[in-house]
Amino acid sequence: MIERRPWLNVLSHFVLCAGVLVTALPIWITFVASTHPADSLMSGRAPLWPGAHLFENYATVLDSGLRAAGSVPVGMMMWNSLIMALMIAVGKIVISIIAAFGIVYFRFPLRRTCFWLIFVTLMLPVEVRILPTFGVVASLEMLNSYWGLSVPLIASATATFLFRQFFLTVPEELAEAARIDGAGPLKFLFDILLPLSRTNIAALFVILFIFGWNQYLWPLLVTTDESFYTIVVGIQRMLAVDDAEPAWHLIMATTMLAMLPPVLVVICMQRLFIKGLIEQEK
Amino acid sequence: MAGLTFSGVRKTYPNGVRAVHGIDASVGDGELIVIVGPSGCGKSTLLRMVAGLEAISEGEIRIGERRVNELEPADRNIAMVFQNYALYPHMSVFDNMAYGLRNRRTPRNEIARRVAAAAKTLQLEDLLARRPGQLSGGQRQRVAMGRAIVREPDVFLFDEPLSNLDARLRVQMRLEIRRLQQSLGTTSLYVTHDQVEAMTLADRLIVMNGGVAEQIGRPLDVYRHPATAFVAGFIGSPAMNFLPATVAATGSGVIISGTGHTLTAAVTACEPQRPVLVGLRPEHLLPASEDSAALKVAVDLVEALGADTLAHGILPGDGAGPALTVRLEGSRRVDVGDTVPLTVSPDHVHLFDPGNGNRLV
Ligand SMILES: Nc1ncnc2c1ncn2[C@@H]1O[C@H](COP(=O)(O)OP(=O)(O)OP(=O)(O)O)[C@@H](O)[C@H]1O
Ligand SMILES: [Mg+2]
Repeated sequence: MIERRPWLNVLSHFVLCAGVLVTALPIWITFVASTHPADSLMSGRAPLWPGAHLFENYATVLDSGLRAAGSVPVGMMMWNSLIMALMIAVGKIVISIIAAFGIVYFRFPLRRTCFWLIFVTLMLPVEVRILPTFGVVASLEMLNSYWGLSVPLIASATATFLFRQFFLTVPEELAEAARIDGAGPLKFLFDILLPLSRTNIAALFVILFIFGWNQYLWPLLVTTDESFYTIVVGIQRMLAVDDAEPAWHLIMATTMLAMLPPVLVVICMQRLFIKGLIEQEK
Repeated sequence: MAGLTFSGVRKTYPNGVRAVHGIDASVGDGELIVIVGPSGCGKSTLLRMVAGLEAISEGEIRIGERRVNELEPADRNIAMVFQNYALYPHMSVFDNMAYGLRNRRTPRNEIARRVAAAAKTLQLEDLLARRPGQLSGGQRQRVAMGRAIVREPDVFLFDEPLSNLDARLRVQMRLEIRRLQQSLGTTSLYVTHDQVEAMTLADRLIVMNGGVAEQIGRPLDVYRHPATAFVAGFIGSPAMNFLPATVAATGSGVIISGTGHTLTAAVTACEPQRPVLVGLRPEHLLPASEDSAALKVAVDLVEALGADTLAHGILPGDGAGPALTVRLEGSRRVDVGDTVPLTVSPDHVHLFDPGNGNRLV
């Protein structure tokens, strides 16, 4: 779509800039705050320009954490979050691909029922089923473990549905040609279907990784042992200190660090998206 | 190399659609059989049963001596070329051709040899590294052929392989397929609804209609002696004219109903006054002088094709007479409104039963 109206250009740029400003300003303030010493944030006025304590603050956070404030090192929490987010993202993708593959390519009794059952679970996010889920996880003794953090979140109706829709667009003749070429179902899945779904998988991975990374309520419930705290939970714990001012400069540094992995994932995977979009196969 | 035998093959789809109602046929070793018929007559269904992509509801299909009803497609030693080619979009041309061989654990150097040979035959040598998305329609078609050839199958199956190509390329690929099939000597089944393709390619034709084989025979035999009115109308272009008529009381010909025209024909086998359906091919109607004319057609539409001119008109009579199409030489001038006197040799008058459409000898 090409329109030659200068004032429209000016207007759209203005809107875009305003949008960027609104989104970026809080991040900037967070960053600025993470470079100041503790007392300059207590003065009541938020500084707008970076201070001189950048390395000091980040080193403190990464090295010892807020041990003084009763928290574990940030590095460890980041590690926990990373494991949890990866398990959730990879697990969701694997499970939904297998489910969609079964539903699209195999004829079995109650196939439609199965599909609708999966679909109905869309209406049951963790928040709704949190008590029974907690009960199950607790009785399986999965509290305070990576499995406990990720498994209850791993089934995904949305991803199953997306893969189903994608598989339905793959011409039936492709499956038939593969059958004649002597490829069994698994070989067809690995040699043909998965390579064709590459870009879908990349897109979903980004979304699901961020979804996993940002989990708050569930990790808060199932982790009581500090060594399994995730970063999002950790930040909240840092705020809840008794009888003291929260160490805002360190909390902000932690927040900056917590933002890093999702941003990296987006940047890395973006390459694959765009490549996939340009080379759209016929 | 092997022949192919159908005995009493039927297909009923799970939803109750009966697509094929009993086909008996045998295909000789190295023969190219074209299955032709209108849309929905069960051509693809029949082919897919040979391929093993559809279960055979009843009857038996043998490839060579082997009953294949229960075999997986990969074990039937067939190769299929699909209408949309069904090339693997993410694989190179080489890998597309090699995939089936790899799955059969063919040794590497053997794969390389076969793919190279096929690529040479099909002029794909420079394209082996490309992906299907980077090829033209004709080239994709060739890759699909190549994928079939490298398997060195007992039977080739083609399901309307040329229908996605433009007219010129279709003619060219038709010749190529014929040449290739003859040099390889591989038994082939070829589905099409294009009757020119059917006539030019086939050793023998199977003309299907509504799930049954109306006629099986060599193209020219089918053209000259169509077994039913359906076959007569389907094979030949422009299509045969059909005129309702009755056998003359004198037993020497037929009287076209409602027009009074009489045609000399071999009607000795039919009782007088019997109603019949007369079939006349447009190319067998010859211009004649006024007094020797058997038919006079009032032209109401003219299509000048260059080499030929098609004149469409009606046979005047009481009320609107039956429609008639005539193929005339391109050099002959005809105008709308003309009346063209025509004759037809008795050999070229086909008679069919108006009830069941069967040929009356
Ligand atoms: N999977 C299916 N389930 C149910 N009925 C089917 C199925 N496939 C085809 N049919 C029906 O079987 C009949 C024959 O179909 P088929 O595809 O063999 O026709 P065709 O001769 O190949 O036609 P075309 O020239 O249009 O390809 C049709 O009436 C069709 O509706
Ligand atoms: Mg078909």
